[in-house]
Amino acid sequence: MTQSLNSFSSSTPPAMSIPTAKEGRLRSVAIALQDLSFSYPDSPHILQDISVSIREGERVGLIGHNGCGKTTLFMLLCGLLTPQTGTVHLFDRLVETHQFRPEVGFLFQDPADQLFSPSVRDDVAFGPMNLGLSEAEVTKRVEAALELTGLQALASRPPHHLSGGEKQMVAIAGLMAMCPRVLLYDEPTASLDLRTRRRLIRFLQRSDETLLLASHDLEFLLEVCDRVLLIDEGRIIADGDPFEVMGDQALMEQHGLEKPHSLMPHVAMHHARRENCP
Amino acid sequence: MAVSLHADVFIPGQSIIHRWAARPKLLSLLALMFAIAMVRQLILLPWVFVVVGGLYLWSQLPLSYLARRLPYPGLFIVAMVGLLPWVSGETVLWQWSFLALRLEGVQVASLIAGRFLAILTTGFILLGTTPFLTLLEVMRSLGIPPLLTDMTLLTYRYLFDIANQLATMRQAMQLRGYGQSRQTVSRQWGWLAALMGSLLLRSYEQSQRVYQAMRLRGYGQNSSAPRRMTSRSGNQRFALPTSLTLLAAASVVIGEILLPPL
Amino acid sequence: MHIPDGILPAPVCVAGYAIAGGVTWVALKQIHKTSDPQAELPKAALLAAAFFVGSSLSVPIPPVSVHLVLNGVLGAVLGWYAWPAILIGLLLQAILLGHGGLTTLGVDAVMMGLPALLAGQFFRQRHRFAKALAPKPLLGIFSFLAGAIGVGLSALIFFTLIVFTIPSTLNQGAEQSFLTALMIAHVPLILLEGVFTVLLCFFLMRVKPELLEQ
Repeated sequence: MTQSLNSFSSSTPPAMSIPTAKEGRLRSVAIALQDLSFSYPDSPHILQDISVSIREGERVGLIGHNGCGKTTLFMLLCGLLTPQTGTVHLFDRLVETHQFRPEVGFLFQDPADQLFSPSVRDDVAFGPMNLGLSEAEVTKRVEAALELTGLQALASRPPHHLSGGEKQMVAIAGLMAMCPRVLLYDEPTASLDLRTRRRLIRFLQRSDETLLLASHDLEFLLEVCDRVLLIDEGRIIADGDPFEVMGDQALMEQHGLEKPHSLMPHVAMHHARRENCP
Repeated sequence: MAVSLHADVFIPGQSIIHRWAARPKLLSLLALMFAIAMVRQLILLPWVFVVVGGLYLWSQLPLSYLARRLPYPGLFIVAMVGLLPWVSGETVLWQWSFLALRLEGVQVASLIAGRFLAILTTGFILLGTTPFLTLLEVMRSLGIPPLLTDMTLLTYRYLFDIANQLATMRQAMQLRGYGQSRQTVSRQWGWLAALMGSLLLRSYEQSQRVYQAMRLRGYGQNSSAPRRMTSRSGNQRFALPTSLTLLAAASVVIGEILLPPL
Repeated sequence: MHIPDGILPAPVCVAGYAIAGGVTWVALKQIHKTSDPQAELPKAALLAAAFFVGSSLSVPIPPVSVHLVLNGVLGAVLGWYAWPAILIGLLLQAILLGHGGLTTLGVDAVMMGLPALLAGQFFRQRHRFAKALAPKPLLGIFSFLAGAIGVGLSALIFFTLIVFTIPSTLNQGAEQSFLTALMIAHVPLILLEGVFTVLLCFFLMRVKPELLEQ
């Protein structure tokens, strides 16, 4: 688990971080979805003919209104659901339903769903233990994960006693201890205060793993992601630079979203006073 | 967990059984169930099946409903009485090596299985044609204490949320490799105890929020306020299913009393 | 450990309902006397739901997995509310899963609920020995016994019912040997139920001790 600092300026768009042929090396494909479709009994066509490739190291944001299929997509990627049609490949290997793939980690929307052990250390150790590692290796991974997430001081506390943000970091530590290559984050900032949210942003900016982040927090995605997929009616409507996709006001509004505030031009009358409101 | 949504238990419809007022329906069908439980004469079973079959047809519930709901409890009854034909009784009907099928055992197993099938089907007729909330209101009107009915309602309401919570937690465990490698029994038990404990803890904390939300909406302010009954009271038109069912139950009981013991 | 419809004679089913009615009266009286039912009701209901759901967990006892009964720990956590919780749990199980029975609801409630109440009352006595033993061993012993009492008494009631309702055509000798074997087979399950109760109570004591102080 190495860290690399990725400096980011909030006022200027980042350079494209996907290596291209110009840089002489193309990163391998981490996730490949081909003609993926899925329906629930009471929600047909949640996903329709989704085809997309995500390369190693990319940080991809998933945006779309509630019920557009973001979480369903994550569950298909982990093998929790079986697609009706199409395939999911992780690092060139087909993802089969209920097959254990330790290279992918999934952070649930409610971190409490992932925490159940009597102490933080025990919870982080759960994954490595199930990988069949030796006690020494488990301890090494746990310590590394706790250090990475800054949780050393909380190691012996029950996760249930921690704040929402701390619980989330424990859940992340539990995933990191398994050394995943792909991490799926489902609405990671949903119940975080500003300080914890900033800490999460810095953490994600430093990570090397391939990240997929489903979120309604568009400002968060602008700061973390180098690519964004807009999903609506089960299809990928747009795929590209976060500033370009989310900066297209007409596109965003057409699909039930809004242009992020930071991308709106700030001129004198941008913020209306209360007395001017009808 | 196989907690079926109540949508699977109640099947909306317009049959007379559906429109039968809930209170007389509950009491009549319960009376029939107890009458069936009294049957000890195998010869009465065909009549019982005619009565129950007739009620099922009258309810217009699909056969697939019965087919879907019977197998799971059916397994238990087979497990409990499956051995009886082979170990109980003196009259051997058929023998192969050490296996001997005995008449008395077959009779007893048939009696138990027949009663089970008939009572269960009667129960399905009740549950399939009556919304759960209506059943609760009827129970309240029959004098079941409000604490019990309120607690039933709240338990039922949150059952599915909590079942989903457990399912998600188990998914999260599996995604982190639970079950992939051999672990000691003590370690697995520790994890499962922690899982159960976490579920209890989360439910407890949720209940505190639920209570606060209820208080904010007036819960506990006026315990003497009469509870509104939304189920319709009995109607003269529905005296027919009530009287027919009670008559059928009575015929079973009378038959059981009058028939000479075997 | 539920008795389905059709097995027990009607008089036994009726007696079950009568006894269950009596216990309900006592339990509700105690509930009103010792707590604020309106404040406690959401907690009792949601914990009842959690126990109902949690009973679907199976624990490995190689080479098989078994579902635990957990009525002892339910009594320890819910106290007098354990009785309505079990009554409601059985009703919902019969309605939603078809498990157990409607005519045998009273009998099943007595079989599961009375031992739960006794286990809960026993568990509460541990405070009398607080000076004699350190907290952890004290909790360990009482939770083990509560878990074992819960399922042990249930098994005893179950077997008693089966003995008295077994068909007379059954060979007495064969019946006795079969039941004896079945009862002996339940002893390890009773002990394991005690062990799981200990683990669960230790977890709750560490994370939310107030759940054990009802």
